[in-house]
Amino acid sequence: MNARAMVNEFAKMRHLGVGLVALVMVLAVLGLSLFTLISSPSFDPDSEEAWNALLAGMSLAIPMVSPLLIAVLASRQTDIEHQGNGWLLQAASGLTPGAVCRAKAVALGVVVTVATVGVSLLALLVGRLLAGITAPVPLGHWAGFTACMLVVNLVLLALHILISAKLENQLVALGIGVIGTLIAVFAKGLPEVFAHVTPWGYYSLAEAADYAGDEIVALPLSYPSIAALAVIGAALFLVITARFDRQEA
Amino acid sequence: MSYIVATEGLTKRYGTRTVVEDLNLRIPEGCVYGFLGPNGSGKSTTMKMLLSLIQPTNGEVQVMGQPMTRATRRQLLAGIGSLIESPPGYAHLTGAENMRLIQRLLGLNQQQIDFAVHTVRLQDQMDKKVRNYSLGMKQRLGIALALARQPRLLILDEPTNGLDPAGIDEIRTLLRRLANDGVTVMVSSHLLGEIDKTAHMLGILSQGRMIFQGSRAELMTASAPDVIITCSDPRTAVAKLTSFNGRMTDAGEVAVPALDDRQTAGAIAGLVHEGIGIFGVRRDEQTLEDVFMHLTAGGGL
Repeated sequence: MNARAMVNEFAKMRHLGVGLVALVMVLAVLGLSLFTLISSPSFDPDSEEAWNALLAGMSLAIPMVSPLLIAVLASRQTDIEHQGNGWLLQAASGLTPGAVCRAKAVALGVVVTVATVGVSLLALLVGRLLAGITAPVPLGHWAGFTACMLVVNLVLLALHILISAKLENQLVALGIGVIGTLIAVFAKGLPEVFAHVTPWGYYSLAEAADYAGDEIVALPLSYPSIAALAVIGAALFLVITARFDRQEA
Repeated sequence: MSYIVATEGLTKRYGTRTVVEDLNLRIPEGCVYGFLGPNGSGKSTTMKMLLSLIQPTNGEVQVMGQPMTRATRRQLLAGIGSLIESPPGYAHLTGAENMRLIQRLLGLNQQQIDFAVHTVRLQDQMDKKVRNYSLGMKQRLGIALALARQPRLLILDEPTNGLDPAGIDEIRTLLRRLANDGVTVMVSSHLLGEIDKTAHMLGILSQGRMIFQGSRAELMTASAPDVIITCSDPRTAVAKLTSFNGRMTDAGEVAVPALDDRQTAGAIAGLVHEGIGIFGVRRDEQTLEDVFMHLTAGGGL
């Protein structure tokens, strides 16, 4: 990884509104999660299962919010290369398009990681301080859920960087983000096999809690599926960006 | 003579379409090399091959005495500044922020950046966002980005495109100044007039093939101008010179193309033998533009 290229990607984020988009992501997920929590008739802050309500809210909010905002982040950071003839400028300085994409993935990956982990920690704080949940935090389940959501978010980020780099028309990239949101939201209502077909479907495999009748119960996380997504996603990203490196200008 | 760029049989094909064919480019060190040709003649493709942004189908490129390949490109590109296609620059950033990106990427010091910015006289515009730059300022920023590494070779693809006459003149002056400072400049254009006065050497490309390479004077010599004969009976003279493609001009003179000095003497002797009075014989005045148009057969300019 070219460290200078990575620092440059952070420098390019200036005036692009990347921080604002990440903030919107955090606030929207947090807001939707809290809304789910307080609108739940069975929510009891003193019950042992109180945290499940918040986890269920986040399991719904992250797939609703993240796919499109991740598409926006990747599109904004990548479109500047098309608009500013940046691919050629950097290639003529020895930095190939694939290396630029990898640098973008790392730099935006930091932003997405901070947003995903941040929203998870803020939800804990809000649950304890605002919602007044007194039960002990299911730390293991919570951390697993956060890690799974982070993996799906990062894989989608990598996918969108590739799409935005390949297609100059960013409306197509954003359109794919919208379709991805629909898949992410509705995947949990479909058979599990379907969830494995697209990367957006994996949000449903990382669902931490949901209603079972009138009660909200913790759900097992599909660690093997998410781990497979991480490995395949990373391998494909490296293979495709290596092809970009050999692509002619 | 030492060449900073030399190609041997450089060829690029896309399927059955040949874009550049068997190009033997020779760019002497320290000169301004004008790379001319009509639009679509293969200039940009050639420049991209020199920078290893495109791989040749056949042939090889030597830059600064080393073959330019994927393995050597990173090292060689550190000494080559380039401006290919449209001028680069991130519109949402200021000129200074754009310069800092290239500074960080190439590990340059602040002096090198300041030198490049002052060379293109952009020092008073560096705090402006690039989206607010005029086209001329964007071109100058692009050249500053290329110059920052203090290259031995500068490759500029149509840097005067879209500029007004003042902007074109400014670029010309800049290129002359860079050449005086020892930088070899390769500059392409589809308009001869834009680089005619700047270039020491010219290479003319037509349909992917090099049709001329040499100095301005050699170019004029390579395309011998018409011989113009003023005589007492132009009609008879044209009839007598049919085998030489002689023709009558609007001024009532006889023009004969592609005659060397010996053939001219023979033709004049023949006319005198026919009893035609010869008042004057001279070579037609032709501009470099005429030669260029003649060589590229109109070239769709």
